[in-house]
Amino acid sequence: MPRYELALILKAMQRPETAAVVRRTVETLMERGAVVRNLENLGERMLPYKMTKHNQRHSRGTYFLVDFYCAPSILDDLLNHLHRDVDVVRPTVMKKEEQEPQSSCCAKTEL
Amino acid sequence: MRSLGTTVTLPVFTVVPELLPVRCQVKMLCVRKLQRLKAAFYLPRSTTHRSLTSAEVLPKDDALLKVGNPSRESKKGCVLCNVTVDFKNIQLLSQFVSPHTGRIYGRHITGLCGRKQKEISKAIKKAHSLGFMPVTHKYPEFMKDPRICSIKHLD
Repeated sequence: MPRYELALILKAMQRPETAAVVRRTVETLMERGAVVRNLENLGERMLPYKMTKHNQRHSRGTYFLVDFYCAPSILDDLLNHLHRDVDVVRPTVMKKEEQEPQSSCCAKTEL
Repeated sequence: MRSLGTTVTLPVFTVVPELLPVRCQVKMLCVRKLQRLKAAFYLPRSTTHRSLTSAEVLPKDDALLKVGNPSRESKKGCVLCNVTVDFKNIQLLSQFVSPHTGRIYGRHITGLCGRKQKEISKAIKKAHSLGFMPVTHKYPEFMKDPRICSIKHLD
């Protein structure tokens, strides 16, 4: 299965509520047959620009990164679900880039 | 040992091996002296020559051989040669962005190679759309970072 990454920005909330939203999201993923590999919390910080979502203007948010494997067919449905969630400000799913061993970048030829 | 044919009379100061007959010794000395003079004028080309002259080491030739070709430029890479570019690393990405407008600097300013410039550009645009990095400005805490780009600001 291909590997994806979900960059999740949640509304600035209290800790138990944030935990509940994360739990809800991961459960949604697992229901659709995804295998969650890693979950990172990048902390709560000021958003780079004000975002409007669900008729609310957000200036602070909590960042999460979810690494998972899933079938490509479920992504559409998953994103739809995340957009409808009131506590989620910006969900983005990207394909995980494979880190290839870089072979001598900028190798200039001798004159 | 090469035999030159002509006998040259030159002042002799070297130590002579005692086992050889006198005539041979003189010829050897002459040969050696001439070869030394030869070596002083031009670099030895054939390996046989080198093995003979290395016995009496001339510091000039040795230094030249060690340095190699001085007109050859050393291989330089760009600043991000062995650095992985990630959209999460906004501090790195902010170094290639204008502090006044937040615009991405071109290749002639950043000095990056083709591949890295493309990677940086893509990562910055990704970070913009994901909501990781500001679009029209730069985070104030990154303003004091070391300047990689060769652009002069009127501060």
